Parts: sequence; structure tokens; C-alpha cells
Amino acid sequence: MINAERRRSMAERRPSTLNRSSFSAERKSSIAVVPHLAGIEDPLPETTPDTVDVVLVGTGLVESILAAALSWQGSSVLQIDSNSYYGDTSATLTIDQLKQWVQDVNKSNLKCYENAKLHISSNIGRGLYKSREFGIDLSPKILFAKSDLLSILLKSRVHQYLEFQSLSNFHTYENDSFERLTNTKQEIFTNPSLPLMTKRNLMKFIKFVLNWETQAEVWEMYRDKPVAAFLVDKFKLEKAQVYELIFSIGLCYNIDVKTPEALQRIRRYLTSFDVYGPFPVLYSKYGGPGELSQGFCRSAAVAGATYKLNESLVSYDPDTKIAIFGDGSKVGVTEKVVIAPTQCPENSRNVPKQKYEVQRLTCVVDKPCSEWFGEGEYSSVVVFPPNSLKSGNRQAVQALIMGAGSDVCPTGTSVWYLTSTESGPRGEMDLDAALGALEESIMRESSADIENDEGIMEVDNSGHMTLNSVKLGQSFKEYIPREKLQILVKLYFKQLTSTPPFEVVDSSIFDINEPVGSELKKLIPGASDNGVLYTPLPSAEISYDEAITAARMLFQKIVGSDDDFFDLDFDDEDEQIDESAVVDDDEDDKMNMTLDVEMSVEPVDFAGEMEI
Amino acid sequence: MHGIKRRELTQELLRKKRARDAEKITTYRTLTERVLTSKARGYYTPDELEITTRLLELNPEFNAVWNYRRDAILTLKEQLRSDFWVNELKFTTRQLQAYPKVYWIWNHRLWCLNEYPGSPIERWQLELALVNKLLSMDARNFHSWHYRKIVVKRLEQMSRKNLNQQELDYTTEKINANISNFSAWHQRASLLPKMFAMGQIPDEKSFINRELQYIINAMFTDAEDQSVWYYIKWFVRSDCIVSKLNTEEYKNLLQQIKNGILLINEDEKDFSGKENMWCLKLLCVLETIQIAQLKLDIVPKRSEYLDKLIKFDPLRQNRYRYLAQRP
Repeated sequence: MINAERRRSMAERRPSTLNRSSFSAERKSSIAVVPHLAGIEDPLPETTPDTVDVVLVGTGLVESILAAALSWQGSSVLQIDSNSYYGDTSATLTIDQLKQWVQDVNKSNLKCYENAKLHISSNIGRGLYKSREFGIDLSPKILFAKSDLLSILLKSRVHQYLEFQSLSNFHTYENDSFERLTNTKQEIFTNPSLPLMTKRNLMKFIKFVLNWETQAEVWEMYRDKPVAAFLVDKFKLEKAQVYELIFSIGLCYNIDVKTPEALQRIRRYLTSFDVYGPFPVLYSKYGGPGELSQGFCRSAAVAGATYKLNESLVSYDPDTKIAIFGDGSKVGVTEKVVIAPTQCPENSRNVPKQKYEVQRLTCVVDKPCSEWFGEGEYSSVVVFPPNSLKSGNRQAVQALIMGAGSDVCPTGTSVWYLTSTESGPRGEMDLDAALGALEESIMRESSADIENDEGIMEVDNSGHMTLNSVKLGQSFKEYIPREKLQILVKLYFKQLTSTPPFEVVDSSIFDINEPVGSELKKLIPGASDNGVLYTPLPSAEISYDEAITAARMLFQKIVGSDDDFFDLDFDDEDEQIDESAVVDDDEDDKMNMTLDVEMSVEPVDFAGEMEI
Repeated sequence: MHGIKRRELTQELLRKKRARDAEKITTYRTLTERVLTSKARGYYTPDELEITTRLLELNPEFNAVWNYRRDAILTLKEQLRSDFWVNELKFTTRQLQAYPKVYWIWNHRLWCLNEYPGSPIERWQLELALVNKLLSMDARNFHSWHYRKIVVKRLEQMSRKNLNQQELDYTTEKINANISNFSAWHQRASLLPKMFAMGQIPDEKSFINRELQYIINAMFTDAEDQSVWYYIKWFVRSDCIVSKLNTEEYKNLLQQIKNGILLINEDEKDFSGKENMWCLKLLCVLETIQIAQLKLDIVPKRSEYLDKLIKFDPLRQNRYRYLAQRP
């Protein structure tokens, strides 16, 4: 099943034989052996098991997290995917795979996707760039430093298969310019353009929101009201700050978002800041959810799950509890069959309604876009609040920019992921307008004129700061670019989902086919999917939060409780590491006269010790 | 403990842990006994020196052992290897990495630098780099700040170059990074009088004005932070500042701060229904200067502020009562 055009898989980049640990001998011996995954490194298994506890159809992120959780809990799992690659709706694809994918969508082979349009420049494939130099995510995501998924990645040790990079630059698009967020105490203090009272109000809000739940007296009255009203009434914040908080920090799509939901989202950002460093968010190198799905599949395989690609479910009979597959094989199921709606069998009648739209516009452009990235970083988030675009957008448009340093595209290019929750043709118009704004901005910011313009801030010798020029962006409002941006790849598509935008996964979709009271719900005669559970498809949510919530809910449905959801403890090795790390005999050799080296020996441990 | 998972120890693991601990305790006791015996006998050999290393790695707080180590080093001075001092410094660096707040390690490091053959300036420059590194890891470790002062003073003596400006910039950098840095504000307050006295501040009045905007900015950013309030209290009464201003300018400066504080306090009342205690305390300070020193004809509110403080901050009520009795 090896396809010459695919990207190097995670397992190839990090083969199981390679021991990445260099801390201590104890650790080396205790690292779990990671098997290759069928379909990627190994040929597909000749036979499938006779019976399993759970059959999972689809290798999207939710199904893969679930596979790992169930396998470690002790259930036997068979996970299949009708595609030749892992990831399904979370996949990371090469340009050639993307071409095939678009054809499949338009032949209606792929349910839940519509209206896919792909433009590819002749520079790809023929010379300048190769198809597999790109890894395009179907549903790009970012990972908050303090989040459920991150703690599960650590607990399950799936993080060892992955590489993470930080993302600290969040921009809000306003008045034709990109404002970088002012969100830390340091930035608020040193920002010379913020009025004093605004500084105070912002700081007051930030202190409040970190413990907002325990201060009901402050927000109770606004429980059912939009958060914008709360921020203006209670904290006297100005529009610019309100928009930053709701759209860039909270990453909400709509100004009407309710106070508690928005506070939760704003806090998510702020508590994530400085957990691993001065940034709130991480992402996995080489591709987002596609990498994570593979990581969880690998982890599930370690715990005994069986994998088959290019395999589809034909039907499941809840009476005999037998699942039949595309190759004619059968398997007995003791617990449940769980299906991604994209991979439901023919004659399905029970697929939950996918009534919400996510519209995406993904572009690869021939600009590195490093202007938008933080120092030493390769990605950023740009948010277009409602009404900030020429299209008069009613909802926010979010853009995730990934540079070549994240290894999803070749040097000199970058990938722009634009997402909108607006439905119908308006959605496409908003995405186009946002693309235009990004294009205009990068053309003038990367033009040579600006390169001579050193710093905008002047700091005198006692540290007092003065602003010596107007803000970047604004000063070039009149600038007309001499060259045009080259768009190498442009992909539109609409994805449907059962999850409403920016709300938690709706658990009612899991109740289909469940007994109501004592009576079994009537099975639909002739349906091929009676008695199965369906997973929710990704929504427009930019974080991974919903995926982990969905996986946990499904786990609880299948196992009966979520007590064992990744209740893993690989920690016994750590204790020995700690002790051997305290006095390391090799340390003397590593110690060098140059201070940098001297001080950088295990900086993480050191930093931890210093925090008192 | 912060961020450290509590682990349910199984019986088996518990036994193993106890066995490991027992072994450690035995080692520690054996080492302690040997060192203390040698110390009592005034017995110094390279082997004994090596034993103190092992013991101090287990317990860096054992100052008697550090003292013995120094005696041993001085006694053995002539037979030490040429790289001894470099290694000794490396040893304390390692110790500081693990225990950045142990006095005796800092003390020993300083002793090493002074005893270091020739004690060259390059060595002290490296030392400043080390302190920078330590302060970048924990900007509020007062041990590091104290040590920094000593190192800077030595560098100044050796190079005959004054480093006040560099050090002032350093405090700005640290305060900008985190305004709740008491050590940095304190260091700033000790540098400024020296700099004024030495004529190192070119345009004094405009400097004072910018410093005023800086602290007003700080109190608006975080009115809960006491290090800022302490600094303001110092700033408005510091001779090096006050002596540079004429009465009108001084009045003006006080009033600017007072206006800011009143605004913050009003806002606090609006928001939480409570007044800000630091605002009230500073208002007392400012009013005292305005009335007692500048003889301004303003309505005194000091006793009103103190009454509120007694109510809001009952733990210090006697202090406020005492202040209220004082004119």
C-alpha cells in the first residue's frame, strides 16, 4: 500500500528502533516499543480477528483518540478506514492526494463535504515544488498549552511521537491593519499607546477572568447576555479591547456569544500563556490533526488495536452483532460499532443531521510571511472581526498562517487556512474578502520600502518609551503593491457538521439507536447502520477541545463511565529519572567554561527549581 | 505540590522507595560523621576534601561543612591541581542550579572568586554573565540581586568605570518584564540618588518627569502591586528628587500622583464596592507632605482615610490608630 507520492509518515520520521531518550539508562530500557502501523509501514494484516469489543470506522482525530483510550482501557479494538491514508476528516494531505480528494468530494464519494474547488499553479508538480513537500490539513487546529488534550498527550506519551512548535502572535484585523495583541501584563505596561485607564481596566478584567467562575456576583446578571455588553458595562472596555478579547483571545466567531461561554474561552487563552513559555498555543510540526490522529493510532496499536486501511464497513446487524466489511470479511462485535459520518455504509439511515456549515479557503502562497510570526516562530493567527472586511462580514473569519518552518510547505511559501461559519454564498464572499486583506497586507509589509524602517518604538536610556511613528500597516495605507501575490494552491470547500459553531459537542447525536426508557427504539428496516454510534465531525473550532470532549463522551457511552479514560500511569520510570538527574556523574564533562553551556544543562529542571 | 502528580504508591513501590531512602540515610550519616570527626581533629587531606563535596551535594545547607571545606582548601593550597579553582567554581554553579536560594553556596562562590589566583577581571565579567543568566530564570531571587551588587562593585573597582547607567537600564528591563519585582524597584531606588549625586543624569527635570509618568503608568497597570506603591512612596519623599524641583514643580508632581490615585480609588469603589488600601495609604502620605511641608490650604482628609483603613484592614488597626494620633 505504499504510495510513492505520500509524505513521510510519522513512524518513518521517528522509527521505533530509534531511542530518543538520552537522560538515563533506566529510561532507555523502559520505553515502550512502538510498532509500525499497518498500511503505512507494514502490509495490511492477512486476517482480521474473529471478534472484537469495538469496531471503529474512520481514523479521524475523535475516532483515533477513542481507539487509544479504549485499547489502553483493555477493550479489543479494530479500527478501519476506507482511505489509503490515516486521518479521514483530520487528514494531512499532499497536493496529489488533495486532487484526488477534491474529485472524490465532487463525485459525492465523500459524504459531508460539498462544493470543493481546487486551483493548482503549474509551479507545483512540474519542477519548482513537489506535491509531497506540502501537508495540507483538512481541519487545521491549534493546541492550547493548558488543555485536556495536552494533558492526555502527555499522560499517554503520544507526545513522544510528535514535535511541537510555539505560536505566540495573534493579530486582530482592524481598519486595514493588523494589530498585534496586547495581552500580557508586560505588554500592557510597556505599550505606550494604551490610555492609562484602559490599562487598568484590561488588567482588572484579566485578573477577574482567571477566576471568573467563583465571582458570580460580577457576571451573574449577564448569564444570558452577550459578553460584549458585560465587557463594556462592567469593565468599561473600549471596542478595540472588546474585539480583541472576544475574537482574538477568545477566538469566538460571533459578537453575540454569551458571557459564560466567552469567559471560558478567554480564560483558556490566558491560563495557557506561560505554561511552557511566553506563548499560549502550540501546534504539531508536519501537520496538525493528521499527525495527532496517527499518534493516537500508534498508541492504540501499542495497546493491541488492529488496523486496516482501504477497508470499509458494508453493514452491521445489531441482532447477530456481526459487522461485514468491503472485502467480505466479518467480525463479531461484543460492544459497539462507532462510525465517522464520512464513512457510513451504503443504505445508512441513522446518520445524524449535519446541519452546520464550515466554509474553508486554504491557500498556499509564494511568500514566507515571516512578518507575521513571532521571533523564532513559524505561524500566527489572524482574526477578522465582524464587519472588518469589504464583504461586510457578519461573522468573524479566522486565519491560521503556517510558514515553511513548520514543515507543511517548502521554503519561501506559506499556507493560509481561512475559516468561516457563515453559510451559503456569503461564506465564500467573506473568505474571499479576508484573502484579499491578507494579500494586500503581506504585499505591503514584505515590500522593500519597509525594510529600512527600523523599530517604531524608541527607548531612551532610562527606559522611557516613546512612539516615534504611527503603527505599522496604517502608515502604508496608501501603498500600492508593484507585484502580485502568487497563489500556488487555492482550495475552497464546505464541510458539514452536527456540532454547532463554537459550542460543545451536542451529546444528543450519540443517543440515536439508544434504548428510550425500557423500550428499544425501533430499528429502521433495511438500514445498514442500526445500533451504531456516530462520531461528530470537526466543527470550525480552531482548538482541539471539542475532539477530546467527543472522544470522552463516546468512551463513556461504550464503557459505562469515563473513569478509565486514559487512566494511564507510566510514571514509575520518572521517579528514577528524577533521582538520577539530581547528581549526574557525566555532568562534569558536559560542563564547559563558557557560561551559556554551563547554565544550559537541563534548563527545564533548573527553571522548575527556581520557581518558588 | 505544584504541578506534581500525587502518586498512589503500591506496597511494592513503597518498599523499594524505603530501601532506597534507607541507603541514602546511611550514606549521609557516614559522611557526616567522617567530616565532623576530621573537622574536630583539624585533619585536612585531598580525600577529606572529596568527602565534603559528596556531603554538600546531599545537603548544601550544612554550613559547618562549607567552613571545613574552606579550611581544607587553604591548608592544601600548595598541592592543589592547576584546574582546582575552575572546578570549584563549576561545583558551586552546579549547586546554585539545584539550590538557588542557599546562602552558603553564594557565600562560598564569592570566597572562591576572591581566592581565585590573581582574581582577574575577566573572571568577574563572567560572573556578571552568570548572574544575568540566573536572574533571567528567576528575576525575583533576592540572593541573585544582592550578589549582583557585589559583583558590579568589584567590576567598577577593577575597571575604574562607573556602571550605574548600565545597572539602571537593567532594572528598567526587569521591571518592564514584570512590574511586581520588588528587588528591581529597590535597586532602582538605590541607584538614583547615587546617579544624581554624581551628575550622571543630564536633564534632571525632564528625567524626573519621565520617571513620574513611568510610575503613574505602573500604578494604573497594577494597583494591587505593593512594590510599585513602595517605590512611589520613596519617590515622592526622596531628597534626590525633591531637591531638584522648585516648590511649584513639587506641588505639581504630588498633585499628578494624587489625581491618579483618586481616579484609581474611585474606579475600585465603582467596581468592587471597596476602596483600595494602597490608595488610601498613599493619600495619607501625600497629604502629610502637602499640608505639613508645603503648607497647602487643602481640606485635610487624613483622619477619614485612616478611619477607613481601620475598618478595611483591621489587622493593622493599631498602626493606623497610632498614625491618627500623630499630627
